[in-house]
Amino acid sequence: MAEAMTIRPDVGFIKDVLKSGGGDLKKCYQCATCSVVCNLSPEQSPFPRKQMIEAQWGLKDRLLADPAIWLCHNCGDCTSRCPRGAKPGEVMGALRNQAIQHFAAPGFLGRAVSSPKTWPLLFVPGALVFGALALWAPKEVTEPREFANVFPLHVLEPLFFLISGLVLLAFAVGLARFVKALRSAGANGAILAGLIPAFVEILAHKRFKECGKEKNRYWGHLLTLWGFAGLAFMGTVVGIGSMVGIMHTPLPFWDPAMPVESILKLFANACAAVILVGGLILLGDRVLNEEKRRTTTYFDWFFLLTIVGVVFTGILSEVLRLGEAVTAMYAIYFVHLVLIFALFVYAPYSKFAHMLYRTVAMAAMGKR
Amino acid sequence: MMQPVTESPNGKGILVIGGGIAGMTAAIEAAETGCDVVLVEKAPYLGGRVSRINQYFPKLCPPTCGLEINFKRIKNNARITVLSQAEVAEVTGTPGDYRVTVKVSPRFVTDACTLCGQCAEVCPAERPDEYNMGLGTTKAAYLPYAMAFPAAYAIDRAACKEGCTACAEACAYGAVDLAQEPEEKVFEVASVVAATGWTPYDANKIDNLGFGRYPNVVTNVIMERLAAPNGPTAGKILRPSDQAQPKSVAFVQCAGSRDENHLPYCSAVCCAASLKQATYVKAMDPAAEAVIFYIDIRTPGRLEDFRTKVVEEQGVELVKGKVAKVEEDPVTHDLLVTAEDVLGGRKVTRRFHMVVLATGIVPNTDGLPAGFTLDEFRFIAAPEGKTGLYGAGCVRRPEEVSATVQDATGAALKAYQCVVRSAHHG
Repeated sequence: MAEAMTIRPDVGFIKDVLKSGGGDLKKCYQCATCSVVCNLSPEQSPFPRKQMIEAQWGLKDRLLADPAIWLCHNCGDCTSRCPRGAKPGEVMGALRNQAIQHFAAPGFLGRAVSSPKTWPLLFVPGALVFGALALWAPKEVTEPREFANVFPLHVLEPLFFLISGLVLLAFAVGLARFVKALRSAGANGAILAGLIPAFVEILAHKRFKECGKEKNRYWGHLLTLWGFAGLAFMGTVVGIGSMVGIMHTPLPFWDPAMPVESILKLFANACAAVILVGGLILLGDRVLNEEKRRTTTYFDWFFLLTIVGVVFTGILSEVLRLGEAVTAMYAIYFVHLVLIFALFVYAPYSKFAHMLYRTVAMAAMGKR
Repeated sequence: MMQPVTESPNGKGILVIGGGIAGMTAAIEAAETGCDVVLVEKAPYLGGRVSRINQYFPKLCPPTCGLEINFKRIKNNARITVLSQAEVAEVTGTPGDYRVTVKVSPRFVTDACTLCGQCAEVCPAERPDEYNMGLGTTKAAYLPYAMAFPAAYAIDRAACKEGCTACAEACAYGAVDLAQEPEEKVFEVASVVAATGWTPYDANKIDNLGFGRYPNVVTNVIMERLAAPNGPTAGKILRPSDQAQPKSVAFVQCAGSRDENHLPYCSAVCCAASLKQATYVKAMDPAAEAVIFYIDIRTPGRLEDFRTKVVEEQGVELVKGKVAKVEEDPVTHDLLVTAEDVLGGRKVTRRFHMVVLATGIVPNTDGLPAGFTLDEFRFIAAPEGKTGLYGAGCVRRPEEVSATVQDATGAALKAYQCVVRSAHHG
């Protein structure tokens, strides 16, 4: 309190927050009900009351470097208790959106992905890539009813590894910027050492459990995360396996001669089902609850619908393949590939990125 | 019996709904200009909420002297007709020419009552003490409060035992008349002033603050009764769970007010009321802790000095941060109050013996006769165009007693203008 502080409001930032879900920010009159009703808000540095006034004042640098915006798990208790309808929970979401855009590299992609105006365009690169692949890539026709007949693996696999590499690079730059900001804001927990407890906490969904109002979000998010982690692991193993030539897709559903492959196949299908259930819970939560539907932003929809779309088209492609509906199976698989492409390529710029920023923020905050 | 008011030499009269401080003021001020006034009060007594206050802010004097002067002005003024236990059923007509139907419930006690109390002595039945916010009970034959006006006992027949006539038999003055019937009276008046007052916001609806679940969470209106010498504890502030004198009291401001989920508006008086009640705690025990948790302390005008005095001279502590959680220690019934100390930048949970919720003002506009327009918060709105219907006091906006008196005086003038116009045109 003692030292004088010069406030330099970033008016553009205030407008961005207002536009990206924090539209009622200005209604806040600082009563601090939100900080008390939040089960996750720590005693010594409570949120989101302070973040609300900082956002009203346009203190961009301070907010984007504030780990507290990532400690919020968006349960909505503060919003439903807010006496002014200022929706602190939505403002925190808008701040996370702004942080992802701010730290993203390259910056223009951050802005493009978060803008509702560009959304159809976001799917154009994927459609072109896989369209070209289907039309012109040399095919290796092995047996009928294989996706590789149209989308040859020897092109798909290196392509996805290349994309993953670029995405990881973009994430690395974004996270490096984020950590630098965290450090300058005084969050000095040992991040590497903090990652393990943070992972444990995230996998157990401890914070979601403490989140007061909405219990089904706990299951929705838990299933989606676990299913996603499982599929990411599977995809990597099978991708590498097939590239080095020890595995051949499609893996068999059950073949006593290939027990490892069979188990992996079973596991992958289970993971897809788990994500689908989790994703539908999260989606249902936002669609059926009128208040939530109104406050869900484009940023939320893009991520949630893409991930649900990926899993849905994935399962559908498999069903069509087994049902030998050849034309439909290639068409749906094309959509599946385009959606995966969007999910991965835009990961550092979409809500997807919350996974990494939140983990790092939790690690940087150290033990609660 | 009282006669319906007809044409007076100065034109038709005025009817005032509500016999609290606003209604009494409007009635007296209008009558003292020379016009006839009917004062209609729902309860068996005048004085309303002011009579239940322990002390006014900022002067910290009891309301008794002011009420006594008003009662005397009413008694001495032949132009005022007081109808207690009466409610307006209908208002028809136009400005300057209204017909008002009033339903009067029987008191079952006549003017012959000498306040000897024999009826209550023999009465076998009890009723919740509405005057003391339900903190105790009275007999079914009861005097509403010591200086009640009209000065007569009343009998709550709904609470009586079937067929009981003990009070009538015990009354040496023949003042108990159990055969009284409800009456309907019609008045022709030039103007109607609604001074129906307010009701405290129902604290049970604020589910995170524990009222109704934890005995030692009370409201500010209950606190007034606990502190009042004529209240259920004879003026000793005792906490409900164990009747012990609290050593620490938290005041929770904006308990329901300035809150979209409850009352969206500021109730205007609760800040000064809590500062005042903190002085009750300090007067009882200067070492007791009195802490006011607030969003903004709203003490405009002369109340600014009051605030400074209470905080600096009496050592009342102010914490900026709204209380959003009250929990109870089940063993001691002490309360754990959580707020974010905004100026200190951290969350605090503190233990108190008692919590007072500063609940707000809800206007009594349900059941108001047709013709009054209400604003977005259901207070009586400022009249538009030509009217003879006026609001006065807290039914018009949340305000302290002195402002209410001024407001009611203004309403009396507006009503009187209707009277004068009706005399010229009638």
